[in-house]
Amino acid sequence: MGEPIPVRPPLDGEPVTETIAPERPPLELNGRDYAIFLLRLAAEIEHGLMVQYLFAAYSLGGPGVPAGRQERVRAWQDTILGVAKEEMGHLVTVQNLLTALGGPLQFNREDYPNDSVLYESGFRLQPFSLGTLATYICAESPGDWEQTNPDQAREIKRQATDESGGVVNRVGRLYQELIDVVGDAALVPDSAFDSGSGVYQATWDAWGRGFRRGERGPAGGGPADDPDPRDEHELVIVTVTSRTTALEALRLIADQGEGFGSPDDDESHFDRFVEIHGELSALEPQEQRALVRSLAPNPTTHLDGQDVRPKAKRTLTSTSAISNPEARLWAHLFNVRYRKLLVNLSHSFELAAQRGGPGDGGPRGALINRSFAEMYNLRSIAGVLVGLALDHADPEGERAGPPFQMPHTLMLAHGEPDRWRLHRDMLDASATLLERIRNAGGTGAGRAYADALTHADRIERDQVELLIAAPQP
Amino acid sequence: MIHELRILPPLAIARFGSAPTPMDNYDAVVRSEDPLGYRRLEPRATLQVDVDSGEITRVFTPAEVSFMEGEEVRPVAPFVEVWALTGDEQLTGGGQLEPLTTALLQVEGASAAGLRWQVQVSNLKVFRRTGHLDDRVIADTDEFSDHARRPLIGRCEHFLAGKTIGLGHVQAVRPTADHPEIRLRFTPAGGFVYGSDREPPPGAPSPDPNLADVVYDSARGGWDGYGDPRGAQRNTAPPNIYAGRRAGGLHVSSGYLDDGCDGLVRVTLELAGGRTLRAFGRIGAGPPTYAPDAMPVRSIADELEQALFGPAVEPDEATFERVEEIVRRGLESVRLMNTAAWNVNENLTGSADVPIMDRSLVDVVALTNLHQSLLVALRSGAAPWFADVLRNHDEAGDFRPPARRKMPAMMRGADAQLLALTRRQVDLVRTLARAPLFPEDGRQP
Repeated sequence: MGEPIPVRPPLDGEPVTETIAPERPPLELNGRDYAIFLLRLAAEIEHGLMVQYLFAAYSLGGPGVPAGRQERVRAWQDTILGVAKEEMGHLVTVQNLLTALGGPLQFNREDYPNDSVLYESGFRLQPFSLGTLATYICAESPGDWEQTNPDQAREIKRQATDESGGVVNRVGRLYQELIDVVGDAALVPDSAFDSGSGVYQATWDAWGRGFRRGERGPAGGGPADDPDPRDEHELVIVTVTSRTTALEALRLIADQGEGFGSPDDDESHFDRFVEIHGELSALEPQEQRALVRSLAPNPTTHLDGQDVRPKAKRTLTSTSAISNPEARLWAHLFNVRYRKLLVNLSHSFELAAQRGGPGDGGPRGALINRSFAEMYNLRSIAGVLVGLALDHADPEGERAGPPFQMPHTLMLAHGEPDRWRLHRDMLDASATLLERIRNAGGTGAGRAYADALTHADRIERDQVELLIAAPQP
Repeated sequence: MIHELRILPPLAIARFGSAPTPMDNYDAVVRSEDPLGYRRLEPRATLQVDVDSGEITRVFTPAEVSFMEGEEVRPVAPFVEVWALTGDEQLTGGGQLEPLTTALLQVEGASAAGLRWQVQVSNLKVFRRTGHLDDRVIADTDEFSDHARRPLIGRCEHFLAGKTIGLGHVQAVRPTADHPEIRLRFTPAGGFVYGSDREPPPGAPSPDPNLADVVYDSARGGWDGYGDPRGAQRNTAPPNIYAGRRAGGLHVSSGYLDDGCDGLVRVTLELAGGRTLRAFGRIGAGPPTYAPDAMPVRSIADELEQALFGPAVEPDEATFERVEEIVRRGLESVRLMNTAAWNVNENLTGSADVPIMDRSLVDVVALTNLHQSLLVALRSGAAPWFADVLRNHDEAGDFRPPARRKMPAMMRGADAQLLALTRRQVDLVRTLARAPLFPEDGRQP
């Protein structure tokens, strides 16, 4: 039976704690199925964390940052972006675990508004602040935090509660539950692990660019005596073919988040966030606000709906409509490219690796490279959005931000030609938006980028047409 | 007043070609309407020199760029120009450079006839190997002031009697009213291969049909059959980078020479009052470019820039245009490579067992697309994020699997180590990477 775990603010009369599951496994599931359930939940959480961290990182900076603080702000930004990339590694490794156990992949995630009791704190896109940072720290915190540093834990948890309106769950609890379940041969027998599934999984070799693996100390950013060494952290991508590798993967992910491993381990997300929190806390509130763009929280392209509220009537879960026509086009484009990234990821898993001669590139490698290209695109489009007003009637008011809206589906069609038709559909949607962006008035922000992206999309579309028409085995 | 002379450019590189008409001028430009495509070769204003008079008789822009004339390659024949440092250097702290013209000479009471040129070039490739002074191939025009075409006749002590190698020719351009500047044109050789007179091994074709002539006297010189002595300091890394054959278990030279060369152009000007001004420039000749719309990711220009300005850039030098140019040259290099094959090339410590990159990623189309996506993203003005994947200069010898993947990947330098960008190029990318993340922060893409 799982230990009690606090999840959400208690309603009147409710007990203050809740277990991950009343029984292990829950009565409707067996051990393997429960592991798959937890892994799919973990995938959603990793995905959600990644997106929230990206949003916070993109919110940092802006014209208001004093010259003397620009370097630190940029360093914080790099730290948070680095953590987001590592969450991407976690997300990919969890897909490997699902593949090894024969479970369905999970690239979906909760969308806002969210009120599920199972998530770490509820998915919200909030600009960087002491409060949002506190929620990240709580989500990534180790189980013994209150014992090792009670004053710090109490203060940061208070800030997180103020920010989120409730208790922020520790992601580490979910991974501990997974480690307990996957490590228990009575729950998940050896036969549940597909030792031959490695070829269908993501590998560090394919995804670990720019990161180090199993090495310590500053690396890629420059030699050790570089005046501005950028610590290169480890990207956790583990191929899973057995209980041993599954447990290794789960421990590495949990360790990278909360850092409960040995002292010489890679600095955990928790540690990195606490460090930034310490620096930020030393500034006056007004000074803190100057370091962050005035991004509207939970931005969306939906102009109406029960969750869309004007600024004056916002709640924690309400969304901010991007009504500025210029920003709306970019926001739609952002959503299309976000979907494209997720479809590329999902599709790359569906294609078996083709291992043979030296010329066996194949579309899987192209999809992986395209996934990286879409990550670059999301960053670029976010850069345009944070410079545009949310509401064209208030040009100096809040800025639009990347909406990260989930597509209507991430399910892939059964046949390869139909999957590639989806790629073509997304490119067509992108082309329509880019055409409108190029022809629209407004500030003209990102126009050179839009031109270049149009060319890149045309090249990709030609290649996709060939794949649609390719003979099927 | 003329204080000093300069020859500009200080280094001019010619390209072999045997066609009678030199290559027309052109530029390789990135078209705004095709930011991810190949550079387009656009014709530019070209000077036509009359061989007999030495005068520039026409300035024209050709309708199209053509590298061939019939079946022959057109040589790239650069001009070097004499410039004068003039002005009051006491007041300005250095004066100014301006083209030396007949009018400027007149002001100084001098004339073009008072200019003396001398061109000395050599091909030291054999000497570089054997260390024998008599293996140097040297051409020297001696001083001249006329405008006739002067051949660069390569002579060598170890050549057969009466044999020489043509290293091209030079011609001082005769200034005219329309073109009063002082110029000299260097036209390189045709790019021919020359041989030695040793009897070929039994069964080998005789003579080699690729040879333009047999010039080297193997009875006196040891180039044919030469092998790098084991452990000699002057050996190159990698070794054996000359045409050769196996003999006694060693790689030995087949005695070939080419008509490449490099050397100095000197100019001397006698002024009234007994003042003499001198300047020199460098010229060299190399093979034609067979991918003229692509630039190498690291070039001699990058080396020179680093030598001149040091390994670090100033913050305002780190611009998107310059970083984009590096990425574009990377893209152009990838397009010319069989990346799937290089990925398992054992000279790069890749092998079929331990490829450099994951095999699924190295399809040349996919890699081209990836580099194109970098170019696209740079156009947004977002700070570069790929500084971490660049290879540092002191990591060129790190052949461990993760380090082999650093960029530029699957390429090696002339020292057989993995290729790294210059420290200055790397610093350029890293400096821009440290800039604020988005253009909204006050930067413009």
